[in-house]
Amino acid sequence: MVKFTADELRRIMDYKHNIRNMSVIAHVDHGKSTLTDSLVAAAGIIAQEVAGDVRMTDTRQDEAERGITIKSTGISLYYEMSDASLKDYKGERNGNEYLINLIDSPGHVDFSSEVTAALRITDGALVVVDCVEGVCVQTETVLRQALGERIRPVLTVNKMDRCFLELQVDGEEAYQTFQRVIENANVIMATYEDPLLGDVQVYPEKGTVAFSAGLHGWAFTLTNFAKMYASKFGVDESKMMERLWGENFFDPATKKWTSKNSGSPTCKRGFVQFCYEPIKQIINTCMNDQKDKLWPMLQKLGVTMKSEEKDLMGKALMKRVMQTWLPASTALLEMMIFHLPSPSKAQKYRVENLYEGPLDDHYANAIRNCDPEGPLMLYVSKMIPASDKGRFFAFGRVFSGKVSTGLKVRIMGPNYVPGEKKDLYVKSVQRTVIWMGKRQETVEDVPCGNTVALVGLDQYITKNATLTNEKEVDAHPIRAMKFSVSPVVRVAVQCKVASDLPKLVEGLKRLAKSDPMVVCTIEESGEHIIAGAGELHLEICLKDLQDDFMGGAEIIKSDPVVSFRETVLEKSCRTVMSKSPNKHNRLYMEARPMEEGLAEAIDDGRIGPRDDPKVRSKILAEEFGWDKDLAKKIWCFGPETTGPNMVVDMCKGVQYLNEIKDSVVAGFQWASKEGALAEENMRGICFEVCDVVLHADAIHRGGGQVIPTARRVIYASQLTAKPRLLEPVYLVEIQAPEQALGGIYSVLNQKRGHVFEEMQRQGTPLYNIKAYLPVIESFGFSSTLRAATSGQAFPQCVFDHWDMMSSDPLEAGSQASTLVADIRKRKGLKEQMTPLSEFEDKL
Amino acid sequence: MELESTYEIARTANFIRSRNFTRVALQFPDELLTDSTRVVSALREKLCSLEESYIGSDRNGRDIGLYVMADTTYGSCCVDEVGASHINAECVVHYGHTCLSPTSTLPALFVFGKAPISASNCAENLSTYASTSGKPVVILFGLEYAHAVQDIKEALVVESSRLSGSTSELELHYADVMCSVMNPSENFKNSTWNMESVGSLTGSEDCGEANCTKYSIGGLTWSISEGHKIEDCLLFWIGSDNSAFANVVLTFNGCEIVRYDATENRLVTDLSQQRKILKRRYYLVEKAKDANIIGILVGTLGVAGYLHMIHQMKELITGAGKKAYTLVMGRPNPAKLANFPECDVFVYVSCAQTALLDSKEFLAPVITPFEAILAYNRGSQWTGAYVMGFWDLLSGSTVEVREQSKEARFSFLQGGYVEDLDIQENVEEHEDGGLALANVLEKALQVREKYPYSLIKGTAKSGADFLAARSYQGLDIHSNNSLPEPFLIGRTGKASGYEDERSK
Repeated sequence: MVKFTADELRRIMDYKHNIRNMSVIAHVDHGKSTLTDSLVAAAGIIAQEVAGDVRMTDTRQDEAERGITIKSTGISLYYEMSDASLKDYKGERNGNEYLINLIDSPGHVDFSSEVTAALRITDGALVVVDCVEGVCVQTETVLRQALGERIRPVLTVNKMDRCFLELQVDGEEAYQTFQRVIENANVIMATYEDPLLGDVQVYPEKGTVAFSAGLHGWAFTLTNFAKMYASKFGVDESKMMERLWGENFFDPATKKWTSKNSGSPTCKRGFVQFCYEPIKQIINTCMNDQKDKLWPMLQKLGVTMKSEEKDLMGKALMKRVMQTWLPASTALLEMMIFHLPSPSKAQKYRVENLYEGPLDDHYANAIRNCDPEGPLMLYVSKMIPASDKGRFFAFGRVFSGKVSTGLKVRIMGPNYVPGEKKDLYVKSVQRTVIWMGKRQETVEDVPCGNTVALVGLDQYITKNATLTNEKEVDAHPIRAMKFSVSPVVRVAVQCKVASDLPKLVEGLKRLAKSDPMVVCTIEESGEHIIAGAGELHLEICLKDLQDDFMGGAEIIKSDPVVSFRETVLEKSCRTVMSKSPNKHNRLYMEARPMEEGLAEAIDDGRIGPRDDPKVRSKILAEEFGWDKDLAKKIWCFGPETTGPNMVVDMCKGVQYLNEIKDSVVAGFQWASKEGALAEENMRGICFEVCDVVLHADAIHRGGGQVIPTARRVIYASQLTAKPRLLEPVYLVEIQAPEQALGGIYSVLNQKRGHVFEEMQRQGTPLYNIKAYLPVIESFGFSSTLRAATSGQAFPQCVFDHWDMMSSDPLEAGSQASTLVADIRKRKGLKEQMTPLSEFEDKL
Repeated sequence: MELESTYEIARTANFIRSRNFTRVALQFPDELLTDSTRVVSALREKLCSLEESYIGSDRNGRDIGLYVMADTTYGSCCVDEVGASHINAECVVHYGHTCLSPTSTLPALFVFGKAPISASNCAENLSTYASTSGKPVVILFGLEYAHAVQDIKEALVVESSRLSGSTSELELHYADVMCSVMNPSENFKNSTWNMESVGSLTGSEDCGEANCTKYSIGGLTWSISEGHKIEDCLLFWIGSDNSAFANVVLTFNGCEIVRYDATENRLVTDLSQQRKILKRRYYLVEKAKDANIIGILVGTLGVAGYLHMIHQMKELITGAGKKAYTLVMGRPNPAKLANFPECDVFVYVSCAQTALLDSKEFLAPVITPFEAILAYNRGSQWTGAYVMGFWDLLSGSTVEVREQSKEARFSFLQGGYVEDLDIQENVEEHEDGGLALANVLEKALQVREKYPYSLIKGTAKSGADFLAARSYQGLDIHSNNSLPEPFLIGRTGKASGYEDERSK
């Protein structure tokens, strides 16, 4: 029952005011996909009858099995508004037809990179919250992310059916619960003050909150009821809306509205009286099969049922009746159309977040105006595996201009720097495709404001990219996405049959493409590494790799491995010296730990090698107490020239020092990448060049002499400054009932975790626990926790920070030294660390 | 006399005498240098006595010049032809461990030396291990054990009779020493270069040329019948864990290999360390793919075909859109290579047994020509096959016209697609000729102006680029100041502590 054709859809794509791009975001298991399906059902791709039973958006088998969404799915919906419902719509529009590009995203934190990718290409978000569980960890995280991207949210309180069927709570109690859920969400949104975006909080009385039962396919906003009652009470709709929420009470006996409960038994809150109770009544009547009472009631509501539907009984009847009375699609789609911005509206304020270049050039203006005649600006946010193995669709959003089949585009990768040729390709688009559920339809072109899939560019785009017209050489790219999770868990993979290696290599390439977060690299030892956000994420990745990208060739995976960092605890106990191979040059150095927070500031890019030195020294002096002059003597950052370690020149009056700077920097980049302990990256170490003695002849103080010496002296100074290992630590959030707390604490203790916050969720028996847990201990944590709490606790882990391990890796037998030995063994190094005497020389 | 037999004085003298050489270079590796004087005097004596037996000869044994060569520029396993040409030698006698790489100009005689070995113990180990594995066995050995192969063979027969027929099921193949006298071949591609086999040490296995596959590595050659694959064989190596063995392990990485250590009289079956080397090489290939500037290190001036290989490498690298520089520096060490920090990777063109230079001490990785072909020839993949010497790479088939691949290259070091330099661009640069350096310098300087205090350097694509990105570019010449600088007195004393530091 396809309601529209590709041509019809393409026609509406030109009406930029009638497009809504939105993502559905929520905590895991709050019913996003089920709700989305009822919307899809209304758009006519699957039959109305099966909505709620089949999750249209979960297209993968493992998703269906696990009952969670893993990949985000995009669907275009078509909806025609009636003139009556649009009469209050103030914004611009072209006719009554609307196109909604919807992206259903996963709720599990391991896949939150998918959410990030979805948010980038949408303008609005439907935040789904379980009415019983309320605002959870992941709700908060994704909501923050959405607001950071300037995405306007609307809220739906989902799983209403639980209130009526499962919990059987009375009206006032239910109201309080809903009120709390909305308040909690508003607390988060209120922290984002953004003049351009305006007030982002949601209010039921303004129609920005819906109440839905995704499973049963019904939903309503107060608008529905306001319309119904407005004529009855003889007031206008907006007035009625306000009465249906908040402190407005109605007593049918006196037929009076009050702002307080008058105490009379018939006096009830407006919401309860006019929304909750009628629904409850209908549901109860249906469930009890009191059909003789039901039909007149329905008739009064203006709901007509088909004759064959009248034979249904119990739950099926209830579902049918509710779907007919309050169809979820109508309520939700109308809410989105009314309250979420169109691309042309949203891009006016989003351009600042999106465009890297100057905000007054003609690319910025084209984005701002959502100009279909302007230069093409298209952001590819993810790659979607196509049905023919090995190929990918580049999926993204057109921000300005048009993309068409055969168009030659400039592909600017994430490392592209304007004016340079790095990470830049010019290629033609083979086909432009739009998504219609499980089907893909080829169209001639796609104008700005829409999401699109492109064929033929997959061999040049790893994960994301900005596309423009071939001629637009001075365009800057669209800002890269910032992910809230980082890939800290790694496994080494190899193929069972050695000759399958080319397959593995090809598979890894495809895997890297298919997922925005996974990183496929190679270790010094020649092992292929897959890094992901968490255990579940890796599991899915490995499954994809083996089954989809390698055609079933078997692979062997190692146990999960965590990467560490090397740092120092104190300033070097003495100035160490190393001599060059020809003994004619000597470098003197000391290492010291960086001030607290400095490494993080470098990570965040607040301090970096590209900064203006004046700004840099100002921050260093004001926030970290550096000497102003010293801040100007930073030679470099490392590893990779941007890492959180540095070399500072402390020498006074040394001849030829400028000549060896490049060599010392080269040695430092090398050494900071492979620390002296276990060849892990260094972190948070500041190396001070104290003195330098150089040979008078330039030929004897060249790179060959100085580079290896710089490396040795850096190692020596690291080893004399109480070296320590840093391990990655997760922030774990667990929601569980009180009786499960004991189990949670014991599992956390056993895994070296510690709880730093425990809070009861107001009005629920649930507790919210926040704890730190070393990543290395997190493998199997989920299942252990579930076992210890009989399945009542569900943890969400996100990488939080690096934590110093207190034990001394230089002391034989300590925990850190065994760890170092293990890492060295895995990397194929000598198990014994190279002693200090190898690096330090004596006069 | 022991010296006489280990250094094969009689054979050497006959070789010199029969070919009427008058100037002979004796090449000793460092560890045998102590014996050199005694070898020379023994040889001279022998030559004299040979001359005397030829009555009527107008030549005197004294006329033959014997020169000792030591401290070879490159690996001591290769014949140092350049060194020999300094004294206008007509032939080289090479002592000690050798890779038996073909020479290009001079004939050479190889004296492998004779290391002690217990033949019976070796045979016992071999037969027990081979009977448990049940695979056909190929027996390979270090050349210093070549003298003992016949003994081992006999011992094996004894062993098998003792074990009553169990060895009769064993299929044994013995490797032959390819040659011990080598004549240079002008046309190195003509693979039938003259060699004088020292006579089959193992007795001929008598298999028709048609139905067997020939293998040769590091001076050893053997053949197995067509029906078998080398992967199904057990390679039994007699000798120490040296570069020759590493060569075998890497080349035949699909085979089961055991090593019999003759000095300790035991079998070594754990080769995980050697296997790790292969994986490490794989990493280096991946790393090499990301390089922009490649240094070609000349690691031999003797092995036949080295010039061709260097040209082939240059072609390959420029074909891949990268910059190549050729460097001649003798035996490379970390300090020497670090003088060229602009090179992201070095390709070491040398004989098979010195080719593997892998040390954490090197700033940039050093790879072999085979690995370079893997890295820079688009479309070639790491399949597990590995070739150490460049002899097998010279076939020419590798430098066929490469089709410009449609796909961008995926770098596993960066975990994403990377763009290689456009080949077109490179061609343009060549046309600019002499101005190229100036242009690049100018361009680089302009870019630097934009971020004057930036600590970041872009990736250099040529030596000039790299220089431009350096903070120190050599002495500044103040053209406006023509006055000579005042004379300054520098430091005096030793580097371990100059005189002005002594007082401290």
